[in-house]
Amino acid sequence: MLRKYLFLLLFALVLVACSDDNAGSEPNDGDETENGDTETSSETADPFSAYEEKITIAIGQEVDPSDTSLQDGDTPLDNQYTRHVNENLNIEVEHAFTASPSNYDQKVSLAIASNDLPDAMVVGPVELRQLVEADQIADMTDIYENYASPAIKEIIDSSEGVALENVTFDGKIMAIPNSQASADGVHNLWIRKDWLDKLGLEPPETIEDFKEVAKAFVEQDPDGNGQDDTIGLAGPDTTNKLYANFLESTNNLYGFDGIFSALNAYPGYWLEGDDGQPVYGSTLPETKEALSVLRDMYSEGLIDPEMGVREDSGESVISGNTGMFFGPFWMPYGPITDAVTNNPEANWQSYGLPLNANGEYTPHLSTTTTQFVVVRKGYEHPEAAMKILNNLLANESEFDPSIGGPGYYPLRLVYAPADEMEVTTVALREVLAGTKEPEDFYDMPAYKLLKSDVDSIHEIKLEPYDNTDIEHWDPEANLGQWTRAYSALVGTAPLVDNEINGVMSLIYSQTETMEDRWVNLKKLEDETFLKIIMGTEPLDSFDQFVENWNSQGGDQITEEVAEVVNK
Amino acid sequence: MLRSKSLSSKIADAVLISILVAIALTCVLPLWYTLSLSFSSKTAAAAGAVALWPVEFNFNSYQQLLQDSQFFKSFWISIQRVVLGAGLNFIIVPLMAYPLSKTVKDFKGRNVLMWTLIFTMLFNGGLIPLYLTVKAYGLMNSVWALVLVGGAQTIVFNIILTINFFRNLPSSLEEAALVDGAGPWYILTKLFIPLSIPVLATVSLFSIVYHWNEFLYGLIFMTREEFYPLQTYIQQLVVSVDPSTMTEDQYKRMSELSNRTLDAAKIFIAMIPVLVVYPFLQKYFIHGITLGSVKE
Amino acid sequence: MRSKGFAKHYYAMLIPGFIWLTLFSIVPMFGIMIAFQDYNPGAGVFGSEFVGLETFRYMFELSDTVNVFFNTIFIAIMKIIGNLIVPLVFALMLNEVRYMRLKRSIQTIVYLPHFLSWVILGGVLLDIFAYGGPINQLLEAFGINPILFFGRADLFPFLVVGSDVWKEFGFNTIIYLAALTGINPALYEAAGIDGASRLRMLWHVTLPGIRTTAVLLAVLSLGNVLNAGFDQIFNLYNPLVYSTGDIIDTWVYRAGLLNLQYELATAVGLLKSVAGFILISLSYYMAYRFTNYRIF
Repeated sequence: MLRKYLFLLLFALVLVACSDDNAGSEPNDGDETENGDTETSSETADPFSAYEEKITIAIGQEVDPSDTSLQDGDTPLDNQYTRHVNENLNIEVEHAFTASPSNYDQKVSLAIASNDLPDAMVVGPVELRQLVEADQIADMTDIYENYASPAIKEIIDSSEGVALENVTFDGKIMAIPNSQASADGVHNLWIRKDWLDKLGLEPPETIEDFKEVAKAFVEQDPDGNGQDDTIGLAGPDTTNKLYANFLESTNNLYGFDGIFSALNAYPGYWLEGDDGQPVYGSTLPETKEALSVLRDMYSEGLIDPEMGVREDSGESVISGNTGMFFGPFWMPYGPITDAVTNNPEANWQSYGLPLNANGEYTPHLSTTTTQFVVVRKGYEHPEAAMKILNNLLANESEFDPSIGGPGYYPLRLVYAPADEMEVTTVALREVLAGTKEPEDFYDMPAYKLLKSDVDSIHEIKLEPYDNTDIEHWDPEANLGQWTRAYSALVGTAPLVDNEINGVMSLIYSQTETMEDRWVNLKKLEDETFLKIIMGTEPLDSFDQFVENWNSQGGDQITEEVAEVVNK
Repeated sequence: MLRSKSLSSKIADAVLISILVAIALTCVLPLWYTLSLSFSSKTAAAAGAVALWPVEFNFNSYQQLLQDSQFFKSFWISIQRVVLGAGLNFIIVPLMAYPLSKTVKDFKGRNVLMWTLIFTMLFNGGLIPLYLTVKAYGLMNSVWALVLVGGAQTIVFNIILTINFFRNLPSSLEEAALVDGAGPWYILTKLFIPLSIPVLATVSLFSIVYHWNEFLYGLIFMTREEFYPLQTYIQQLVVSVDPSTMTEDQYKRMSELSNRTLDAAKIFIAMIPVLVVYPFLQKYFIHGITLGSVKE
Repeated sequence: MRSKGFAKHYYAMLIPGFIWLTLFSIVPMFGIMIAFQDYNPGAGVFGSEFVGLETFRYMFELSDTVNVFFNTIFIAIMKIIGNLIVPLVFALMLNEVRYMRLKRSIQTIVYLPHFLSWVILGGVLLDIFAYGGPINQLLEAFGINPILFFGRADLFPFLVVGSDVWKEFGFNTIIYLAALTGINPALYEAAGIDGASRLRMLWHVTLPGIRTTAVLLAVLSLGNVLNAGFDQIFNLYNPLVYSTGDIIDTWVYRAGLLNLQYELATAVGLLKSVAGFILISLSYYMAYRFTNYRIF
């Protein structure tokens, strides 16, 4: 009796829940005028025009709780960016949800899973695929064609079709892709050059040299404090990976990317096999070989013994214990600034090393598209999202980051020409060498920060201009500009000076079976490799891993990748 | 009690006491560590140089904390949550425990209802349906979502504890009241509840600690930081982020702003309310939990 | 019985609580259906296609599933044992202390950690057991090579159990202490007159006196065999120790909320609920058989 009654009650409530849900998904405290605003869809497509009547857009917004840059009573919802959007486009931005960087993905998952989507939000490739599969987002094909500003189209086209390929499903453009500098995807070797000099060593060209340097860093007390407290090579912390992979191909900090690629191993990447068919790099013998090298290094104490457990490997860089690590060009934005503040002699330099057996530098390369703006299916003004992004790129240099960080711009995507950093490095060198004047670079609007870079370089760089060692800089003159210039002249130098025989993954997005199985395959891979390196499992457990990987869905996924690639 | 005063017994006492004191010290350690971190300088904390004593002692963290209005907003939400949650718990628990403490003979439906409660304690539909339900009720961003969802998941255990306490009250008391013609409401409010202050204090304490320390639901049911309870607010500060999903300037902001000493100050302040409450309730709940779980 | 006709009052008392639990516990259970579906968020729970036991088939195919269940049970059982024995030993030791003030202070201090959230304690523990942390410095002083405690899959379960027992023993001690004070002092006096040593008194008087308490606590904790502690492990683990440290709740959280594998997460959660229900029933009947006492 009772059970039947409860069951009925349950259903009644669920019905109520469903009918409420439809009404509840409208932005409820929106502007009154949003209703009846139908003429916008019939107006002529202009990427920058303001709406005649105010519209609202409820978005998902990442808000960093420790960011205190907002001034004078500004809020994440009312600041220079939202006011600019409001005034220029007559769009009122609202927040369907906000979340800190660490919780943003979780909020997005929750929104997708419960089909309670904001009008627009920024997502990654995995979520994008899920949204398309579940038919939850609007087709943006016409909107991109008609509303994307020429500047955005130019940048997206500079990716040679990759950016649009990532958002095209069944011939339809389902999201607005970003496009960022390709330098994010190359993981250089960073070394304490002052330690090398002190021990009379050269930057390591080969893996053998590399081991010797690491050994010397660990055993010969390079910091001269008489204690056995130095680390040869840093390892990944709990938030980073052993190597960047095809889904997250950029910005892997403290991984072993450089060692793998010097041994011609590309774990985590989809490669063309000997028979021309796709293979997964993690299952190849080269990867096993590389793992055995890393395993030996770890057991000899050349790698940070706390790898994989540390919360932040940057801490030992800051404290001056680490001698080498792999990371992208922008590491000065990370721990290096603090390291130099702590110890002005910490001379971190960056190299495109080690080289492979043929003496070539062969890092893996990333996709330039990692983030996407999606619009909820059924939202009345899908072009508003596009307009907000047009507005960003057109006016980005006008904003003052010191009264509100750029992250507060609604739906912000990064748009940068693929070669932004390389161009900056070359420009700075030419200005320093006197072969060009700063004014020569003023008229390059796509390179947003170039003007301020060339203008301020003399303030922070000391003579001799062609020597980038730390004693020839004046970071204190302008720490912000120093970080930027150091990232260019030191961090990006290997990308400009080396011939890069980079390796791309065949794909940078998921296939169908991956949706269900990839997470577990990835977990299998991560655990096995970490344990092999740290010596808690024998090297030959690699073979078992390959077998399991294939049988637990890897075979099927490989076929799917082949289909995508051969299409 | 008789006291033996032999030397060996004295040595045994000394050893015993030193062991006990040593163990007790380990229990204060985390508190102490957080405290010394909060009084240290930023650079010392970032380099991991702080151990048991503040390095470069200063009050900067606490000065900064005073200017963080969100911290106090969240603090206030947590207080509301605890008061409402523990209050509701205090009302509903005896109301449900009293009938369910009856035997099947006195209250026929008792067993079915009891097992229904056990069922709700163990089964759930997962977070997503819960989210949909709360949204349908219009409770998003409301402190009631935290009070009602969290409370529903912890109340059954508290009811079981209270049932056991009620059953152990001398049955003669109730019988005497019945003879005097008292009804069930009278027996519950005038007889059982006053006698059950120890167990009610205990379950209230459980409820307070739970509502104060729980963080996940704040993350799920609140769409904006301004609605976060305190532990959720703290959790998002101390959790680290995967840099590969960040853009370069996000990372830059993060690393410029990460601030372990300020976090430690917040954590320390967040511990205080619970530390203040428990000595007051202590004398009750020692009694409450024992009688609740054990029939001697 | 005089209490006839009270049933309607009993129901009235139960109504508010049952409405609450229905709204916030039973209604969201519609989500259990996700486990039997190919869940499409766009179509919702009521529009998604049913695929029968497909998800369960995949679940058992995954090597993770067995592993995760094993880890959960292993860690939970060790915690149960530790949380029974350590507080017992501690209570017995504390009971031997004759300085009441000291006894009371120690008792108050040791259950301090019980009140702190794992969000807070997790960070502190990771620091203390870090490679260059205090524990390893101590080991080095004895000539032992430093150990990467939280990176060792073989050590992780024991660290989890150890730290949980450390957090909770003070609280559980209270229960035993109360039982100890319930022992008739005359028994000690009689033993003293017979010339029994302290140890003999412990064996012949104290332990028998708290036997029922211990048995009952053990039986009660059976229901926790599938709760190995989400908050704790979530704040302590890393991929290195997934093989031994990943438990059902952490796994379900990652699968369901971070990796978008809703069906799998729901299915595993459901399996846990069913197993938990069986265990609770089991402990209910065991408690009834061994102590002739119904725990709820």
